[in-house]
Amino acid sequence: MLRRKEKMGFHGGFNLLDTYPLKFCNIIEEIQSDRTPEKFEFHFPDQKIRHVIVNLCPTEPWALPNWVVLGHKTTAFLDKLYEMKTRYFPEASVSIAINKRETEFVAKAIGYANAADWIKIYTLDPKYPQDDPVMFAKVILGLDINFGQNITTQGIFIFDAQTLLAIYDTCILKNTVNSRLITLSGSGLKENEIVRVRLGTSIDTLLQHRTQEAIKYNIFVNGPLRGREITDISQKIDWSVNNIVVLKDQDSKVIFPMLKSDELAFTTNILGEPRQCVYCNFCDNICPVELEPALYYHSYIRGEKHKARLYHLEKCIECGLCSFICPSKLELLRINKECKALDRKT
Amino acid sequence: MKTLPQSIELMINKNLDRMESFIHTRPKVDFLFGSLFTAFDGLLRSSKDTAGTQPFIRNNYDVKRYMGAVLVALVFGWVLPSVYFYGWQTVLSRLAVSFIAGVFLADVIWAIIAREKHISEGGFVTCLFIPALLPPQAPLWLVGLGAALAILFRNIMGGVGNNLVNPALFSRLFLTICFPALLTAGYQAPVTGIPDLHSFRYGIDVITHATPLTAFKVNGELTPYLSLLLGTASGSLGETCRIALILAALWLIKIRVANWRIPVSYLGSVFIFSVFFSFLFGQTVAPPLFQLFSGGLILGAFFMATDPITTTYNQTAKWTFGIGCGLVTLLLRNFTTLPEGVMYAILLMNLLAIPIQFLAVKLRYHT
Repeated sequence: MLRRKEKMGFHGGFNLLDTYPLKFCNIIEEIQSDRTPEKFEFHFPDQKIRHVIVNLCPTEPWALPNWVVLGHKTTAFLDKLYEMKTRYFPEASVSIAINKRETEFVAKAIGYANAADWIKIYTLDPKYPQDDPVMFAKVILGLDINFGQNITTQGIFIFDAQTLLAIYDTCILKNTVNSRLITLSGSGLKENEIVRVRLGTSIDTLLQHRTQEAIKYNIFVNGPLRGREITDISQKIDWSVNNIVVLKDQDSKVIFPMLKSDELAFTTNILGEPRQCVYCNFCDNICPVELEPALYYHSYIRGEKHKARLYHLEKCIECGLCSFICPSKLELLRINKECKALDRKT
Repeated sequence: MKTLPQSIELMINKNLDRMESFIHTRPKVDFLFGSLFTAFDGLLRSSKDTAGTQPFIRNNYDVKRYMGAVLVALVFGWVLPSVYFYGWQTVLSRLAVSFIAGVFLADVIWAIIAREKHISEGGFVTCLFIPALLPPQAPLWLVGLGAALAILFRNIMGGVGNNLVNPALFSRLFLTICFPALLTAGYQAPVTGIPDLHSFRYGIDVITHATPLTAFKVNGELTPYLSLLLGTASGSLGETCRIALILAALWLIKIRVANWRIPVSYLGSVFIFSVFFSFLFGQTVAPPLFQLFSGGLILGAFFMATDPITTTYNQTAKWTFGIGCGLVTLLLRNFTTLPEGVMYAILLMNLLAIPIQFLAVKLRYHT
């Protein structure tokens, strides 16, 4: 079945939402745990908050969708945001980044913003990695910040909807927040779902009876592109876990792959054979910060890692799109990280 | 209950697995047939490699599909039109000889001798180019020699990804130097009209005719533009039907396999410089539109110059590359005894691409 529209990378990003359309069940299941849950805590810093960006534009299909948190209560959400603004960051500029395609939220938010001048609405293309802090700062605030820099020291705060509501609950309503919504998705699971988990639950309990039997799978926290792989599944879930992706480990050969692209897609298979760089320009076309990753690769294989630093390597936001798109299946992101690590040592 | 296709698939899969383990456990067999089997297996089955580092998912687009797209574009761009214009006997025999000599002999023997791990799919593209660059009535052994030389040359340079110049064009240059007589004769006039059964069975009568550029050089004769565009004027086997080449190349550009900057700058600079030259020298140089639609310019600009390995990697430097190609082509065509200069222009700019890329990087990063 070739239902999936395979889109090539377009300039400065990739539309993951169309390439991997994940459907989630509308019913949100609560997962019980016998451990005592941990509490969500947040303290506003003493320094001045200059910019607040609310991220309602998740660009990864496995991220928590907006409708789960906001429902039909966009206006109520914005009222809460206003209350927090008046109390904690009265002088900050508040911007909201919304996915251009979610017309319902966009219409409501624009209707709200027309009456209120403290808020700015930005409708963005949901192309990955538009929701990266560096990209947000560039697109919305027009600021150049470096990757890996602590943006809170510059007075920039980026929240997603769920964190914002949790902060409202703890700081203003003085309630305890000890559970959060998490999406579970991937080819290694029986079905994609959204669950409410107590903080401190182990991934082990979360995935019980949900993974497919008799297959090998890998578990990733916060997505297979930017997230990390989990090998110790007794690890606890904290507030930074937004989603868990379980991918099938397709390490056997599949016959006639051109007819079975849906069987291979969304697995950890590299979907091709490693080859030499053919200078196809896919990596610099897709790079969101306009770098030329093949230059790093060629410096690296010539054994001149230090040369890679000359080509603006510090701007790389480690989104992984260059490795993702590479038809020669080169490990470009690993090479970038290695060259960067050299930078830090010297 | 398994359906028939499923059980056939299982059977093929099982036997391929058995062959693979048989080959890889015996070093001597592996030495001879390892790479051949890997190449064959790679066409039928997906790879079993999984992503070990971030990102853990990869796009479903590999070099095989990349090269496959070029193959498809070339089949629609020159193979099908020339089957009509020159008869299937002429075209298919040359293709068969080119593939056998290039991919199945030169590449396989090289892989065995040089102990390559895999046979590159780029060889198919090179071997599909070779007959297109030669005259329609070039002897078959010349086509085979050209294909074998192209593959050999590419492999000596280090395989796909390391070649300095376009292997197909280099092989054409080699043949031009060694067999000049064979490459100036044999330009068969294409047949027009509805093919009948007689020509289908016995081939088309061979009437040779000078190529438009030679005709212009010798007696100032201009071929009609429509005939140039549709392919009814004589020329190399693959370069005549320019409308099909343009359409196929536009598809390649749309799916981003070919970079649009090179054809635009190449054809644009040919047009602008030839307007300039006609203004300066009048009737002695060919008019701009005739320059655009004659010779191998369309094939060269859309398919040969866009070969990503031999151009510059930097996108801005590609403009320089294209403009350089256009200028050299026109200088050779108008001011030398050579009727056609596309091959020399692209080969020269392939070599110049390295300093251009070096300069572009220097300018961009101020190193």
